[in-house]
Amino acid sequence: MSFLHIENINKAFGSDSIVKNLQLTLENNRTLSILGKSGCGKTTMLKIIAGLIKPDSGTIRLNNKTITEQPAAKRNIVYLYQEDLLFPHLTVFENIAFGLRIQKKSKDEIQDQVESMINSLELSGHKHKMPQQLSGGQRQRVSFGRAIITNPSLLLLDEPFGSLDSMTRQNMQSLFKSLAQQFHITSLFVTHDLKEALLMGDEIAYMDAGYLKVYKEKSDFMKDKSTGVLAEVEFWNGIASDLSSNFISS
Amino acid sequence: MRTKYQNIGLLFFAVLGIIPFALSFIYALLYSLGLVGVANSGFTIEHWQEILESGEFIKSFGFSAFMALIAMVFSVGIALWLTLLFHKKIQHKTISFLLYLPLALPGVVSAFFAVQILSKSGYFSRWFYQIGWIKDIQEFPDLINDDFGFGIILTFVSVVMPFFLLLFIGVFKTERIAELESLAASLGSRPNQIIRRITIPLLLHKTWPLIALYYIFLLGAYEIPLILGQESPQMLSVLIVRELKQFDLTKISEGYVVAVIYTVLVTIMTLFLFLRRKSIRIDG
Repeated sequence: MSFLHIENINKAFGSDSIVKNLQLTLENNRTLSILGKSGCGKTTMLKIIAGLIKPDSGTIRLNNKTITEQPAAKRNIVYLYQEDLLFPHLTVFENIAFGLRIQKKSKDEIQDQVESMINSLELSGHKHKMPQQLSGGQRQRVSFGRAIITNPSLLLLDEPFGSLDSMTRQNMQSLFKSLAQQFHITSLFVTHDLKEALLMGDEIAYMDAGYLKVYKEKSDFMKDKSTGVLAEVEFWNGIASDLSSNFISS
Repeated sequence: MRTKYQNIGLLFFAVLGIIPFALSFIYALLYSLGLVGVANSGFTIEHWQEILESGEFIKSFGFSAFMALIAMVFSVGIALWLTLLFHKKIQHKTISFLLYLPLALPGVVSAFFAVQILSKSGYFSRWFYQIGWIKDIQEFPDLINDDFGFGIILTFVSVVMPFFLLLFIGVFKTERIAELESLAASLGSRPNQIIRRITIPLLLHKTWPLIALYYIFLLGAYEIPLILGQESPQMLSVLIVRELKQFDLTKISEGYVVAVIYTVLVTIMTLFLFLRRKSIRIDG
């Protein structure tokens, strides 16, 4: 059986059905990108998997254990919010060390692991700073470090780079790719940015009006009209041909 | 343009806030040293010696500090507890309106309410008598003008606690504590760990300057300890006013000594509070 196996998850708030018949499998150390417009049910789906919202029906299995009824604290799944939600009363060091302190690791172990994580995140020199003294990109890195250091079985990323400028976003994308490789992370990466979805995922899925469709191959995703890839390609082809004809005529 | 407005603002602050305060302080200091005042005849430290040796000021300061501390601990503690339990319900319009009500009551009115409720001839005493818990008015315990300042503390708490409850509810919302709690749960924290490591430290971290300022405010409270306190020890403001209003004109200088010491202590506390805040912002 796959590392993450989700079957028939449904969730409605009142008469609004938000997640419909969710089926999903994911192997260990893989990242599944999930593309979807705002309000399509992505966040609710992630919160259900994290244990922060109870589903109406269905089962979630992680590493051969059914976790559907388990509280969030026991799932070893970390959900990363859209914004870099750092604990504002703790320094960078303490934010990253938070999960380890909860796990009651020894002082030396915490010191070593956090120092090494701070270096991996290229945040040396910032460890004593408070969150409000950091830039958006630095805050997001701390947020990653705090999640990854606990060695979660599954990392759920909810549009983590949505609030960053394009340059910082690119840097963060490559940083996440390298961290995912270095720490063998299994993750669901939700985004509404097509390019980001293609870049970040080993596999790809599209969510629309509560339904999730997982594609076997990235090429299948690209060929599917509903994902918007073809329209995007057409748009950029048009721009490219305009540019080249202007270039030739000038 | 902005600098010009800032300068005008600073000028107003100096004229209305700092200069009158500074002049009053200098006058009080000169009075306490015998340099001004009808009954004074020149420089002397006699009034200072009198106050420092009598021990009344120390007793009064200790009593005020203790009353303010106990009232703050209870007010902040109860407000935190209610915030943790009912933060969603308290955001309801009617409940938050009810919480604003005590804030609109002047201290003197709250103190009179306390007299009506807690005194030997008050409502509680009468109810207890009616249901047979006490047989005589003297059996009802001293809850006002008592040795332990019970009436003062209770009235302070009834005035201060709603303020902190509203403050904590506001911080709970603006600091997105509910989301931080979910995040902490997702990082493996159990409910009691979330309260200990996230909710309470965060609420206190965001509000401690106000907690400290309220402590200073209670330290100098006047109407409530005047009505509900005992003859001795008295809280500082009551002691100062008593000294200033004495028939013996030499006692006025002693009142100014107490006022000067109190002002210096409060100013040091306030400066310490804000300089520490500034250094936290700079150093992280």
